[in-house]
Amino acid sequence: MGELTLLLLRLGFLVLLWVFVFAIVYALRSDLFGQRARRIAAERTASFPGEAPAASAPASAPAPATAPTAHRAPPHAGAGTAKRLVITSGPREGMEFDLPAEQLTIGRSSESGLVIRDDYTSTHHARLMLWNDQWVVQDLDSTNGTFLDGERVTVPTPVPLGTPVTIGKTSFELRR
Amino acid sequence: MTVVEAEPRSTATGSIRVRLRTPARRRNMELALLLFAFALSGAAVTLVQLGALGRVGTTVLALCALLAILLLGLHVVLRVVAPDADPFLVPIATALNGLGIAEITRLDIADGLNGWDAAGIRQIAWAAIAISLAIATVIVIRNHRILQRFRYIAMFTAFLLLVLPVIPGIRSPRFGAYIWIQVGPLSFQPGELAKIALAIFFAGYLVQARDSLSMVGRRILGIQFPRARDLGPILVVWVLAMGVLVMQRDLGTSLLYFGLFLVMLYVATGRLSWIVLGLALFLGGAYAASRILGYVGARFDAWLDSFNQTIYDQQGGSYQLVQGLFGLANGGMVGTGLGQGRPDIVPLAESDYIIASLGEELGLVGLFAILGLYLLLVSRGFRIGFTGQDDFGRLLGVGLSFVVALQVFVVIGGVTRVIPLTGLTTPFLAAGGSSLVANWIIVALLLRLSDSVRSQPQLVVEQDR
Repeated sequence: MGELTLLLLRLGFLVLLWVFVFAIVYALRSDLFGQRARRIAAERTASFPGEAPAASAPASAPAPATAPTAHRAPPHAGAGTAKRLVITSGPREGMEFDLPAEQLTIGRSSESGLVIRDDYTSTHHARLMLWNDQWVVQDLDSTNGTFLDGERVTVPTPVPLGTPVTIGKTSFELRR
Repeated sequence: MTVVEAEPRSTATGSIRVRLRTPARRRNMELALLLFAFALSGAAVTLVQLGALGRVGTTVLALCALLAILLLGLHVVLRVVAPDADPFLVPIATALNGLGIAEITRLDIADGLNGWDAAGIRQIAWAAIAISLAIATVIVIRNHRILQRFRYIAMFTAFLLLVLPVIPGIRSPRFGAYIWIQVGPLSFQPGELAKIALAIFFAGYLVQARDSLSMVGRRILGIQFPRARDLGPILVVWVLAMGVLVMQRDLGTSLLYFGLFLVMLYVATGRLSWIVLGLALFLGGAYAASRILGYVGARFDAWLDSFNQTIYDQQGGSYQLVQGLFGLANGGMVGTGLGQGRPDIVPLAESDYIIASLGEELGLVGLFAILGLYLLLVSRGFRIGFTGQDDFGRLLGVGLSFVVALQVFVVIGGVTRVIPLTGLTTPFLAAGGSSLVANWIIVALLLRLSDSVRSQPQLVVEQDR
């Protein structure tokens, strides 16, 4: 093993060490410069050329304004925990997704579980938490408030099934 | 980036079901970086042998390959039980661990140690145990919030672990410090595990107590100071830290526990006055200790006046410190090359002084890369803490990563003569089973935290303009 080979190997190892450091830095650049949430949204709209179903949904979806009583008709349904969140009005009306295991944050921040970006939402606006098998909504000192069935939420309040929760221009309700 | 699976399904309400699914992108990234870390570690072990012996033995490389298989096992387990966990923690820890094994092997070659006597072989065995325990932690703890329930058990565990090394019968004083226990042939530093238990307890306690600790108090010089009766907790932890200093005769451990509590208290309450108060308390205590306790005073003298010939020659003087500095100076900018320096001159080169050994053979350039790896590891931990959605998780994430950062600072600061030298281990690098086990468990807990706090938007609602 010649001197020169050892010298080259020695410097090569230092280069390798730094390449490893920079490989990690390069890989986490999305964390450093923020996620491109806007592009995600754009991709989604692109993959939904069929806004048509959403457009046709209003036929049944605007119901929440009048329907909550119908939904709440079986009060014992509250024994069952809500599993889904359905957007009942607003730009994404008609969409629904499964609720996470324990809590869902709502706000403008791209780290929120439900990202709502309109003129009325705060960065960390509100959160839904599962307390003893009951979903509870808590307002996180938002500027424009969180409304449960039209009432502004001040303390963590249980959300009955099918009751509209309004944040900005978006309303949603929880369903089983 | 995110794959959208949309199945327009006409349900009774006529709504559309949206499901966002992130493919195993994070895990693939982890696998790629992990393979890179294997290559790096393998190259280090090979170069060490080439440099020191001029040939490559296969024993250590074969054992490292076994470790690599275990790490791939951890990777596969993460794919199943924590698919959204942070992808950088395991590769960084692997690279640091590998560099440590390589340098310890190099010191074994210099000391002519073989087989089970070789610290490198034992380090590999401990790494295997530590990684297995990390796998077990990730599998057993499915949700970090469970840990919050065990906060008082964690407190008692921490207390027990702290007391163990001073119990006659199993205690094993070395180099003047009572931080080891010896049961049969096995020796262990319980304080390393105590830091995890303490982080869990502090997080659980501060989540409950932070309101009373942050809301009230008088304002003096623009800083709001707490009420006298809220000083209880910080005084208790201060007494604990001072107890460690007096009973275990170990300044570093004492600083580590107190610093951990202080930072978690600051993160929980957001009040600078705790830091001011805490630092004043600790500096006061350390100053008093340096006057009263002989060994602390000797450490201070060795630090302030290292190149004094009498202190250099003295038993427990600055010989080790100064030899470490000579080693670093000999390394210079690019180092002497792995296996080509004389790091074995420094006492305890494989444990306390591993950073001086690596600094000699890899130079300033290599040392900064290692510090960069620590920086990335700790920044990932803080990131995990900050994105956490529950207060306990946030505090725990910050606490666990800060304890690693503080330990790196205390050790490297001691070796480079920024602060008095103390006997802490460099996380992942230094020879020592307890340290490896504790730090791999910290990585496992951070992985678990990052999986459960990873918040991906389920749905993005944007105003149509």
